[in-house]
Amino acid sequence: MRGLVIALAVIALVLVGIVAWAVGVNNRLVRLEQDVNEKWAQVENVYQRRADLIPNLVETVKGFAAQERNVLTEVTEARARATGVTLTPEALNDPRAMERFQAAQGQLTGALSRLLVVVERYPELKSHQGFLTLQAQLEGTENRIAVERRRFNEAVRDYNTRVALFPGSVAARFAGFQPKAFFEAAPDAATPPKVKF
Amino acid sequence: MNDYARLLPPDARQRLETRLAEREQASGAQMVIAIFPSLEGESLEDFGIRLAERWRVGDRKLDNGVILLVFVEERRLRMEVGYGLESVLPDAAAAGIIREAVTPRFREQRYAAGLEAAVDAVYARVETRSAPATPGPARGVSPWVLGLLVLFGVVALLLAREAMSTSGRARRSAYTAGGRRGWGSPAVVVPPWWGGGGRRGGGGGIDFRPGGGSFGGGGASGQW
Repeated sequence: MRGLVIALAVIALVLVGIVAWAVGVNNRLVRLEQDVNEKWAQVENVYQRRADLIPNLVETVKGFAAQERNVLTEVTEARARATGVTLTPEALNDPRAMERFQAAQGQLTGALSRLLVVVERYPELKSHQGFLTLQAQLEGTENRIAVERRRFNEAVRDYNTRVALFPGSVAARFAGFQPKAFFEAAPDAATPPKVKF
Repeated sequence: MNDYARLLPPDARQRLETRLAEREQASGAQMVIAIFPSLEGESLEDFGIRLAERWRVGDRKLDNGVILLVFVEERRLRMEVGYGLESVLPDAAAAGIIREAVTPRFREQRYAAGLEAAVDAVYARVETRSAPATPGPARGVSPWVLGLLVLFGVVALLLAREAMSTSGRARRSAYTAGGRRGWGSPAVVVPPWWGGGGRRGGGGGIDFRPGGGSFGGGGASGQW
């Protein structure tokens, strides 16, 4: 009889131990996921910042080079598309959603670099104070985008690693944690050429 | 003022250090200048943000740090602006300071003058645009707390000096041998000679006290 009680007590202790460990894994993942979401919010922040600069930029360029209608329209439309694609925290698990977001932003990047190439042909515009200001702000924003993307990827890496590590992965899968998508560098997503004056 | 490239003569360096210290004291924002011989093939912006993350210039809560990086061989420079100063010193302003205050003087090889102008320009913006910061020590601290802090500080100092004499890390010459130097928690009362004593025999120390500030990649680059 005593043997049975002891056996049951041991089993109970082991069960409690497992539950405690699983809770630990869960909480760690919650915290890492929170970090990923925060970093994502920062990424969206800086992309929005870039989008906010564009109307001003288009107006300034129009003041000197209104005939470059194609490029200006391209930028305006690309901006509209890019601001239309946002990702909710849940969508961060979906690589396709991430790809769509990146593609939209990548198109805007491309349109901007084409615009800056066009600007090269207008010396008055290039030396215009307002344009120089916008140019500096744009470069700063592109740099910020690169920084926040890197930090986001680091957060995703930490989270994904923790989700995948055994035996934590068992508990993670049980609780519904899934790996998240990285921000990949698309093959032709170039930063706008730094225009040297 | 960290002149790893020995670009400036010692008296110019000293003048800059004093100026930086005074301005930091007056406004609270921490500005650090670092002159490197070469970028060694790295990307300017990449180097800048990684250095900023390592050095943690500026206050932990206010993120009010500025780093001015100069690369002699490539003739390029970059100003990193902490999160907290982005409204006061936006990218366009940083670019303007580099373009107007620094590069013309650098082109004439008047490096010290260029750097001094940069310091003045940065702090001019900081001082006119930020809300006046409440000076820390002016808050009423009870004499008991003060006494305990001093006591704690002295004890910690003695312990830290013990630890420092046995640590072999003093000679690390990597540029980014930054914030973690085993001096203990920020709560320790820091001796006044720390600020100038970062250089160990002219090698690789940093010459300022990291405050824990964060950076987001804002600022501007330039070349001369």
